[in-house]
Amino acid sequence: MRNFSVMKSIIQFVLFIFVLAILIPLLNILAMSLSDPSKVSELSGLGILPKGFSLINYEIILANPLIVRSILNSVFITIVGTIVNLFLTALTAYVLARTNFVGKNIVLILLIAVMVFEPSMITEYLLMKDLGLLNSYASLILYKAINVYYLFILMRFFQEVPDSIIEAAKIDGASHFRIFTQIMIPLSKPALATLALFYGVYHWNEYFRATIYITDPSKWPLQVVLRQFVVSQDNTTLLNGIDGKSAEFLASLDFGSLQAATIVVAVVPMLLLYPLILKYFTKGAMDGGVKE
Amino acid sequence: MKIKNTLRQMRKDWVLYVMLLPGMIYFIVFHIIPILNMKLAFQDYRIIGENTWVGLKHFNVLFGSPAFKDVLMNTVIISTMKMIFIFPIPIILSLMINELRFGPYRKFIQSVSYLPHFLSWVVIAGIWIAFLNPVEGGVNVIRGFFNLPSLDFMTSKEHIRWVLIFSEMWRSAGWDTILYIAAILKISPALYEAAKIDGATTFQQMRYVTVPAMMSTVVTVFILNLGFFMNAGFDQVFNLMNDSVLSVIDILDTYVYRIGILNGQYAYATAASLFKGVIGLVLILSTHFISKRLTGKGVW
Repeated sequence: MRNFSVMKSIIQFVLFIFVLAILIPLLNILAMSLSDPSKVSELSGLGILPKGFSLINYEIILANPLIVRSILNSVFITIVGTIVNLFLTALTAYVLARTNFVGKNIVLILLIAVMVFEPSMITEYLLMKDLGLLNSYASLILYKAINVYYLFILMRFFQEVPDSIIEAAKIDGASHFRIFTQIMIPLSKPALATLALFYGVYHWNEYFRATIYITDPSKWPLQVVLRQFVVSQDNTTLLNGIDGKSAEFLASLDFGSLQAATIVVAVVPMLLLYPLILKYFTKGAMDGGVKE
Repeated sequence: MKIKNTLRQMRKDWVLYVMLLPGMIYFIVFHIIPILNMKLAFQDYRIIGENTWVGLKHFNVLFGSPAFKDVLMNTVIISTMKMIFIFPIPIILSLMINELRFGPYRKFIQSVSYLPHFLSWVVIAGIWIAFLNPVEGGVNVIRGFFNLPSLDFMTSKEHIRWVLIFSEMWRSAGWDTILYIAAILKISPALYEAAKIDGATTFQQMRYVTVPAMMSTVVTVFILNLGFFMNAGFDQVFNLMNDSVLSVIDILDTYVYRIGILNGQYAYATAASLFKGVIGLVLILSTHFISKRLTGKGVW
């Protein structure tokens, strides 16, 4: 060990560079969003401290009704979507994990078929159109109501609940539905919390389905607005939200900083949950053993 | 008699079927029906009335089209580049992280390295577009430091594929170490003790104990990656592409999106995704069985 302290130092150094390569672009965006718009041009692409300090970018963004609306849409879709996900996944997992019934094999084959063969985005889109779900939140909540991987994770968890508890409940005359709501759900809180995070992150980050299913800007989630503003460099959403401001005011804006602030807003909820995410996702990834 | 028993059993279990119903309706409506509707690839799409069967017409057009060949080549090239340049990185990283003692520094490195995995590609694209900006972007600041000319990576056909490789690395290298580190942690300390008694250096311990022990995980991950070869990274390309580099990074999925959703050629685009789906299915099924044979772990 001692004779290889040089190697250890090299390793520590390389890993330090690796961490910098991840952190600097993130911190640079944060610094840009907090800089004074008139001084932001002095901020180097490697700078991690804001030049001057101003919250004006956030004020402009959070005063913009379209952006605020999209944040609320995202929050709504994430919360309702996650509840729907959890309920349907748990209900299905209970039946498949704890019971035997005629046709169970057919159901399992169906699940594996769903897992290995993805439908085309075209036929999914046409289905949404036929169901009349275009431009509705339901399209975003329903199209991935159950994730098969997560369903299998929960099934494995349910299978570990001791049989004796279930047997005792059955002897007391509890129905399946009662066992599900009053025994399995409370006993599975940690697993359900984990899945809630998985599904929640997924809903918060979803943009593609919303891009194609939702054409009404007032129903867009934040990621779609962000995409339009940052990736497509299209400022109309933002400019439409600024009313009655002078031309000088508009000229004083720095779009780079406004984009940076929008990115930060889209990332903040993730960072607030990050300690929980770390704990559960890493454990889930280690246990799952299969890459998504 | 047997049928009668089965029916009696089913009647007894009616609660279970009721509980299963919402999930099954979901899978049938949102997965099975769109899959079955991929028969559209053999039809012409009509807004009103029945679609008409046209046999292999769309496939003939598809395979005769130079655009499709380019897209297929791009998919293969980008996937292969990712396999070659990205796959080894997490393995090396996890060996390096393993050499750090457990402690705040190790924890810090791991926590930071997982972070980009949880950002959407929209956010990552925003960050990278700023970072690669030709004027004040971080990468060009570094290039300036070495007196290299500033480059506009996002619009350069020569560089854009490397942008895909490095942004993917940035996003997933840290996260992908998880499985390898889990494998390393399962190695019995007795093996290291024995190696030390035999006088093995840190490097030799890594070479003769750690690496062989994590090989089965490496093989599993590699095989599973092969199964998803046709998915060259839709979200990533979709967010990083622009007109000037489209020709070199347009992959099957983005092609289907463009001709299908944007241009409304539903049937033709469905033929393209059916082609991709079948290749993907063959890859996944074969890798599943190979992986089961070799490592006992499959896709499901």
